[in-house]
Amino acid sequence: MKARVHVTLKPSILDPQGQTIARALRSMGYDGVRDVRQGKYFEVDVDAASVEDGLAMVREVAERVLANPVIESFRVDVDPDES
Amino acid sequence: MRFAIVVFPGSNCDHDAYHAVTQVLGHDAVLVWHKDTDLGGADAVILPGGFSYGDYLRSGAIARFSPVMGCVAEFANAGGPVIGICNGFQVLVEAGLLPGAMCRNRQLKFICEHVSIRVEQTDTPFTRNARVGQVLRIPIAHGEGSYYALPETIAALETQRQVVFRYTSPGGELDERNDLWNPNGSTAAIAGICNARRNVVGLMPHPERACEAAMGSVDGRTILESVVATLATQGVLA
Repeated sequence: MKARVHVTLKPSILDPQGQTIARALRSMGYDGVRDVRQGKYFEVDVDAASVEDGLAMVREVAERVLANPVIESFRVDVDPDES
Repeated sequence: MRFAIVVFPGSNCDHDAYHAVTQVLGHDAVLVWHKDTDLGGADAVILPGGFSYGDYLRSGAIARFSPVMGCVAEFANAGGPVIGICNGFQVLVEAGLLPGAMCRNRQLKFICEHVSIRVEQTDTPFTRNARVGQVLRIPIAHGEGSYYALPETIAALETQRQVVFRYTSPGGELDERNDLWNPNGSTAAIAGICNARRNVVGLMPHPERACEAAMGSVDGRTILESVVATLATQGVLA
């Protein structure tokens, strides 16, 4: 199965990269862009006895390694095309 | 006196630290590979600057799982003096040996320049020879050094006097919002902290690069000489 992990900065954390991207987009004429928050996306290919087992392992990995819980949050799901 | 300098793949200030310890201070140093599982009988540990694992994922995020970090944690938990410089500080926060996290610099620039840092606490092994309020001129060189912690963590750091260094003006004035005085945008202009036990210190500036007049400043010696003085009081022979 392939799990997908999205890691994003917590709302309280300043994201200077996202702000710079938002400013650039507005200067290109995309006036409707209010804000951009930049994050990370991981595809984790795992061998697991069940989808539940696989998801549990990927959640653990996300918590311990892929995200820093001090500044980031994450969500994990299964790629429906590759489950 | 013997210093262990931990070498991760991508460390690049390990030899600067080695030079400062052996040539400037005149003490023993051993370079300890990240896969090693002992610290070579060291009296103090330096986690040097650099780009361990290419800064992949987050600075220090992969290095913290290196086999040697188990020994570093054990050494720290036994009260041994540990200093993390720049990337070494990032490794210490990722490892949970120090609280908080590092974010991209506020201005998104990699900053490499001499800055002023004010000594806030002198009861750590690395600031023993300094005065409270003393301003040290020491270079920084990082892109991801904006210190962040939850407001309650910052409050705890303040009440327990764990903020060891702050970025200031050359005269020691504090202005968190000033890009010249707080170059990376750290919360509360924090440049360095210690753990509750005070034996583990992390800072973004590079004291090992400010130990000889030819390098533009000798203020970093105060930090390294402090640990020598501390160890001497504990009966570790020079």
